[in-house]
Parts: sequence; structure tokens; C-alpha cells
Amino acid sequence: MPELRGSFGDAPNHLLTRWFGTPDLHRLGVYESKAGGYSALRKALLEMAPADITSEVKTSGLRGRGGAGFATGTKWSFINRDAPGPKYVVINADESEPGTSKDRYILENSPHLLVEGILIAAYAVGANQAWVYIRGEYDEPYRMLSEAIEEARAKGYLGPKPMGKDYPLDIRLYRGHGAYICGEETALLESLEGKRAQPRSRPPFPAVKGAWGRPTLLNNVETLATVPWIINNGGAAYAKFGTDKSPGTRLLSVSGNVRKPGVYEVELGQSFRHVIMELAGGVTEGRSLKVFWPGGSSAPVLPASMLDTKTDMEALAAARSMGGSGGVIVMDDSHCIVRAAHRLLKFYAHESCGKCTPCRVGGDWAVRTYDRILANEGSQTELDTLQRVSDGLQNGRCLCGLGDSAGWVIDSTLRHFREEYEDHALRHECNVGGPPAASGRHLPRDRDEAASA
Amino acid sequence: MSALSPHLLAEIKELPARYPQPRSAVMPALDLAQEELGYLNPEAMSEVAAALELDPGYVEGVATFYTLFHLAPTGKHHFYVCTNLSCTLRGADEIVEHLKKAIAVTGPDAVSAEGLFSYEEVECLGACEFAPMMRLDRRYYYDLTAEKIDDLIADRKGHLPARRGGRRAAPGGETQVPSVPVEAPHPSPPVRKSALRAPGERVAREGRDVPRKKKGA
Repeated sequence: MPELRGSFGDAPNHLLTRWFGTPDLHRLGVYESKAGGYSALRKALLEMAPADITSEVKTSGLRGRGGAGFATGTKWSFINRDAPGPKYVVINADESEPGTSKDRYILENSPHLLVEGILIAAYAVGANQAWVYIRGEYDEPYRMLSEAIEEARAKGYLGPKPMGKDYPLDIRLYRGHGAYICGEETALLESLEGKRAQPRSRPPFPAVKGAWGRPTLLNNVETLATVPWIINNGGAAYAKFGTDKSPGTRLLSVSGNVRKPGVYEVELGQSFRHVIMELAGGVTEGRSLKVFWPGGSSAPVLPASMLDTKTDMEALAAARSMGGSGGVIVMDDSHCIVRAAHRLLKFYAHESCGKCTPCRVGGDWAVRTYDRILANEGSQTELDTLQRVSDGLQNGRCLCGLGDSAGWVIDSTLRHFREEYEDHALRHECNVGGPPAASGRHLPRDRDEAASA
Repeated sequence: MSALSPHLLAEIKELPARYPQPRSAVMPALDLAQEELGYLNPEAMSEVAAALELDPGYVEGVATFYTLFHLAPTGKHHFYVCTNLSCTLRGADEIVEHLKKAIAVTGPDAVSAEGLFSYEEVECLGACEFAPMMRLDRRYYYDLTAEKIDDLIADRKGHLPARRGGRRAAPGGETQVPSVPVEAPHPSPPVRKSALRAPGERVAREGRDVPRKKKGA
């Protein structure tokens, strides 16, 4: 049994995690007998027409949990079910947004939940084969998902006639090899096709021309794991949770300087105060909240003063941020925002695939600028450069969102913590958490830099 | 003199049939090659290319894009330590500093004496509630401390970890299930034990002429 840090057990808002923590939930027998597993697949295959399944998902208002928040039912309806030739469902299990561990939480606790969701989706959109693109470092989730698929195959839930229905269904796995960019859907498809993972220009969209040139539905792990509940209970019942435009619940991975980091299932519309201060037990003892990333490192930061912001996508958009991947990174007041931004920019620069110039050049440029500022060689010029690079990275100048995300880190930290940047760049000092030497809790300087100094 | 065994190349030639289009076999094939050789050198990449009827430059292009493909030998036990934000906020940098000293290497390019250990700092591994964390020998280790690192190193060197508090500390602390070899289930077979190599054995450390990958440059 994996150790559980997060939501499990009976609670009104535990739609996904209700049965998490049940011993051996990853075995098909337990998933069926204890958690009522595969009843949704049975219902979908034997009692529902594919169009009705899609329509039920539309009614639920479920929105993609990978980051973009696109309406899931609408996405399903883009696939022309009657078009001749193969169609695919591709599952994005390449979870790699910094601060995000919810898909791993699902895969390690209830892999059959995902298997069931995949099979329902494949049947609904007219695909016979699904491919799970799972990140290469997820050895344990890979093994558990493989076993779950084999159990389901042995039981006759997938194969030539799943549950007796004359509709062949199969699920296959493909392992990633370490590239953040593969979380982007068209880069993922390139990778699945055995290429360097560089995003494609759209159109054509994957629904028309996706994996191996065929119509493809791409969904995130959590999105599909939510589908069995919707089929069992109805889309309308799901829509009663959450807000009008962001219905339902979602898993938030809370990490960083909190007392109880974990993956918590939250009804959308609850506040981050509830998530951080109650569910995650509040900020590290003796410290106070400084800032948090509400939806993975790519979501623009929100300072402590915005702790009452709600978790639904509209509230986050109004706060000039986004729900993203649901990775809530919490930083306390002993840490320096400039160093944190520097660390994240190094990430984006490293992970840029190099296809689009603003992202390829901008990331490294920003890192070098931060290097100078943190080496106390900064001036107004460096601050202006950061703002200019940030602007150049944003607003759809690249084929995917990686460049924008890098720009948002700079832009949002500058917007909310201008003074701290000016301390570093103009006054060559850091005034965070007491004197740096005494606190000992700063993000350390880059080691290469320290070594060469 | 080929870099990869005839047996392995025969296995690689069977991979393309498992995918809707044969090109998808390139990464699973490179996986097999890396498993046998310990890393990917130009000869191995050329042989994979020939077996898959692809251009060698193409295969090398793929291998150099992804961080899990190693272009230079690593230690027998390679530490992938997350130093992204969630882990750094909880002390990942101190873990790296300690690890470097404990395995006596100067940096991520180096391999320790007898080829036993090496490390690299990696981006988020998706287990942020257990930060600081890392991956070692196809398994995650959580809530890292200097002591846990020492225990793991002692364990890999074949020494018993120190006793603490009256019972033997589990190496790495509370990770999930016991380490199970990741078998290659249907249909992608990326991980397997090499028939030609004793468990854990790696080829001699030579051929370090391959430059380390620099992405996005």
C-alpha cells in the first residue's frame, strides 16, 4: 500500500478519493466488491448509446484537469465517431508540472479507476485502442497500471468483446523519457510517434489529425478518472458540486512550506485559505505565508493577501492567475521570491524544446539576467530586461504555453514583489526573513555560481 | 565489433510491429540498448538505427532530446534528485550537497570510485507531498534526510544500514511497496534484465567522448 498523504475515505466532496485507502484497492476484485468498480463501464457498454455517454459528460460540465480546463464533453464531441479508419484515445499521464502529483496519487491508489474511465471514453468516441503516455520516472505507477490492465483483460473487461459487447477495446502503455514538454498535447503526440517532442502548429487539431495522423481524443488522467462517477451518478449530480462554470471537485497537490503536504480533493469554489490553512495544516510553524502558486509553477503567483481567492477557474482568472494543473506550491516568508523565480526560470529554460525563438532565447536570457541580479551586479537595466523578456514570452508568440508560463513567473513575481526585486537589483541586498546568514533558510545561491565565486 | 548483442538487435527488430507506425519503436529500442550497455554511445545508436531502418542522425536526435537517455556512463546506482521548487523549499539543495560528499563526486558528470554511484539534479518528479524526494534504482525515496542518504549508500555498498532506535532503519524510509523489478508487460517492453549482464553489472567506463546533452541550446 502506498502511503497516503491527502484525501481518502468518506466525505461529501470525495467523488474521486472516496475509496482511496481501502486495502488492495488496486486489485480488480477489491475495486469491484468494495468500491462498486466497473459498474459505470457495464452501464456505458450495455445500456447507453455512445452519444448518450458524451452527452452525460457534457451535462456534468467537467473540464479538463490537465491545465487548460477545456470542456471535456465538448472535446469528446469533436471526434467524428463515424469516420472510417482507426481512432485513438491518448491519455496524458506525463505529469511533470512542478508541484503537481495528483495523477500519481490516482495511479498508485486506484489504477482501475483510470482503466474504467479510459474504456468508457474510448467507447464513447468510437476508438478501439487507447494509449497511455506515462512519464518514464513513474516506475511504480507504470507497474500498477500494467497490472490493472492485465487484470481487466483477464476478466474480459477489455479485449475483443468487453463485457460481452461486440466492440473491441484495448489499452496500451508508452513510457516517456523525461521531457516536461510532453505534457503539452501535440508534443506528446510527436513523442508517441517516436520523434523529438516539439509541439505542432494547430490546426489541424488532434481531434482531426492526432496520433499517427488519425482522429485522437487526448485527456488527462484525472479527467478520465472522474468519468466513472459521472456515468454512475449522472452528469446533473456532478454539476451540483462546484460552481456554475467550474463544476465538480478536483485534486489539488499542496506542497512546499505547509505542515501537511498532500493531494486533497476539493470542491471547486472553496478558497485557498481552506486548502492551505485547513487541509494542509497551515504554513510551517513560526512562519507566515508569503506567496503561493495556485495551479503549478506555470500559474501566476498570488501573494498572501489573496489567500481568500477561490479555487474555481473564473475566480483565478479574475485574480490574474489560473487553475492550471492544481499544483499548489506554498512558500513561507523565510524565502526570497527572486531566488524562487530564478529557480523556476532555470526549469523553463532547460525544458524549452527549442522550436520557437521567444521561448528558446527568452528563457536563457531571463536566467542570465537573474544570475546578474543575484550576484549583486544588477541595476535598473536588469529589471527592465526582465520585464521586456517577460512580455516577449507571453501572448501566444509560441506554439505552446511553455514560453507563456516562463513569462508569467517573471511578470507575476515582479508585479507582486517589486520591492524585493528592487532590493536585489538596485540596492544589492536581500531583506527576507532576517539577515541571510542568520536565517539559513534562503534558497541557496546557484551552486555552480557559488563554486566559481 | 558491435556495441549491442545480436540477441538484443533481434529483439529490437521485432518492436516496430507493436505500434501503429514503426517509428514509435525508437524510444523502446533505445531503452533496451541503454539497459544492456548502461548508456547510449554513437555505435549503439547507429545499430539501433540500422535495426529499425532509420537514419542514425534521426535516432541520435531522439536520444539527445530526452533526459532519461544517458549519453555517458553513469554509476551503477544513479541518484535522480529533484531540486525543483517544492523540493528546494524543503531542503533539496542540502540533500544534493550531502550526497555529493557521501559518494565523493565533484558534480553531476562524475562517477564515483568503482563506478558505483553518480547523481543528477532533475526537475519535478511528481511526488511533491513527499518532498524532498528522489528516484534511485527505479524507485522513489521520500522525506529525504542526510541519514537516509547515508543508509541507502551503505545498503548499495553491501553494508547493513546502521541500527537506530532499536530497529533497523529501512533504507530510504517509508516508500511504498518493496522494490519489484519492473517487468515488461505488454506491449511496450522498455525495461528488462539483460541476458548478457550479471544483475547490476555495467560495462567499463570508457567512451566518454560523447558530450552531455544540452537541451534548448
